[in-house]
Amino acid sequence: MTLRGVSIASALGVLLLYGGLILSLCWFFRGDALRESLLSERTLFSVRLSLLTATLAAGLALALGIPAAYALSRFRFRGRELTDTLLEFPIIVSPAALGAMLLIFFNNPLGEWIQQNAVQFVFGVAGIVLAQFVTVLGVAVRLLKASFDEVPVELETVARTLGATPRHAFATITLPLARRGLIAAFILAWAKALGEFGATITVAGTMAMRTETLPIAIFLRLASADIESTVAMILLLIVIGLSALYVTRRLLGRAVHA
Amino acid sequence: MLEVESLTVPAGRFRLEEVNLRLTQGECHAVLGPSGSGKSTLLRAILGVLPCAAGRICLNGADLAGVPIERRGLGYVPQHLGLFPHLTVGQNVAYSARARGVPSAVFQPHLDRLIAATGIGALLDRRPGTLSGGERQRVGLVRALAGQPRLVLLDEPFTALNDSLRRELWWLVRELRSQWGLTILLVTHDLAEAYFLADRVTVLLDGRVAQQGDKAEVYSRPAVAEVARFLGVETLQPGRIIETRDGMVLVEVNGTQLRALDVPGLSNEVLVNIRAEDVLLEREPGSPAVGSARNRLRARVLSIQFGSPMVCVKLDAGFPLLALITRSACEELNLQPESVVTAIIKAPSIHLLNRKPSSAPATPLSRSANAVTTRGV
Repeated sequence: MTLRGVSIASALGVLLLYGGLILSLCWFFRGDALRESLLSERTLFSVRLSLLTATLAAGLALALGIPAAYALSRFRFRGRELTDTLLEFPIIVSPAALGAMLLIFFNNPLGEWIQQNAVQFVFGVAGIVLAQFVTVLGVAVRLLKASFDEVPVELETVARTLGATPRHAFATITLPLARRGLIAAFILAWAKALGEFGATITVAGTMAMRTETLPIAIFLRLASADIESTVAMILLLIVIGLSALYVTRRLLGRAVHA
Repeated sequence: MLEVESLTVPAGRFRLEEVNLRLTQGECHAVLGPSGSGKSTLLRAILGVLPCAAGRICLNGADLAGVPIERRGLGYVPQHLGLFPHLTVGQNVAYSARARGVPSAVFQPHLDRLIAATGIGALLDRRPGTLSGGERQRVGLVRALAGQPRLVLLDEPFTALNDSLRRELWWLVRELRSQWGLTILLVTHDLAEAYFLADRVTVLLDGRVAQQGDKAEVYSRPAVAEVARFLGVETLQPGRIIETRDGMVLVEVNGTQLRALDVPGLSNEVLVNIRAEDVLLEREPGSPAVGSARNRLRARVLSIQFGSPMVCVKLDAGFPLLALITRSACEELNLQPESVVTAIIKAPSIHLLNRKPSSAPATPLSRSANAVTTRGV
């Protein structure tokens, strides 16, 4: 078999694996159960909560990630190498462990003080946002850094010789040129937050109509052996996630040709 | 205008050492050197991108230490131009005014004159990615000059262009310079570019100033062998001074005797520098001497290399000697390999250097270089 044949067969193998998993849902698919599940107040709450928390988590990840990634891309400072290495921390440590670490933190004096005087994270919506934020931050910074790396430093130097302050050069040259990477980082962080389960369940628990995001809703329905509703929720998650990725591709495609 | 004093700049494993440079208002100064000699490091230190370990950089008498890049009053055209790809040409050239918050009524007349002088008026709505190489260079120049900088830094901006386009842009730079009284520091490895544009040159070798001065002086009288090699002196042969009399020396080069002007500070062991264009050829041996030509050497043609526009003739005159003549002169002389000719070299055209560096004062390269140059004829 030629290299071309092997590589195309591998690509189709990936399609077969994921496509097969999605198609296997059809075995338990029932139209009326799907309609009923989708229109229930509980499902709509899960959808709203998931969209809200994923958007907040991705937004916060970008808010911290953009300056952090810029620093990692442009400057040499003490702790840079360690920070760069720790970006993979959420990937190496399982989401459940991340969630457990957050719980442990909130049982420390500082964490308890934050819980009592600032924001109630444990078993609350803020806890979901925090769990998703911690999970996606590393990936977001990694993607953002790659985007800034692609913008030549020389352009910033030229902008500064033309009278731009570092902030002005960043805002008018670096950010616009890295916009494709920024959009991609936001959408991928958002999609990853949307599907986040391990850290969320550990920090926020599984309270129906309170901390029940879509992945937790899937878990709860599966635990109660409600397969049809589980299938409906999975399909809903797939549709939202794939739609987001499709929109991203369209946006990026437009940005390329702009 | 610009004064660089004893500048030392570390840049990774490389180090720019003890560089001194002085530019007067309206001067174009070229910093010449091979790749890795420290030209761009020097420019980046002046820009404020690289920190200096020692020394000072002053512009119009003010020390630039601690002055941020945007307040140095410099115009900069880097090697790859650094045009902003997401902005139109119009936005690129107006960037300086917008970044400084200068009202349109103030900057627009100056910008319009620059646009007219460089002929980029039709390009203003286009993106840099759609421009040709020459158009991009013009836009880069206009953008750098739009903010009316005190000093313009050009970092090999014409390297990527073909020869005719490069020459066209050299003329443009000369016109802009005379029209606006620009002070320019040009970094280049291209001798032709430096000699076309600059008034004075500095040769950097291995992070140190090897020679500095008027371009004609540096060209015809390299201070050390390394500079001579970099400047492309075609004939560079070891010789020995066998007689000194009446301001002249008699040098023996591989058995052939040459007369040259005496230079104070020369030891007996010398390097003989002869530019190929300073060698005249005659077909008839024994014809009378012409003008002040003092050396008439019987030579055999080894090979003839037809170039554009000159012809390079490789000779054996007892030592390897190159001559550069016109194509018509070559045809007139009917030169062929093995032809016997007379090579005529004026004594002042032969430049002598001490062969052993140890015979020069034990000071940094820059100081010994300057010492020999200033004592040159």
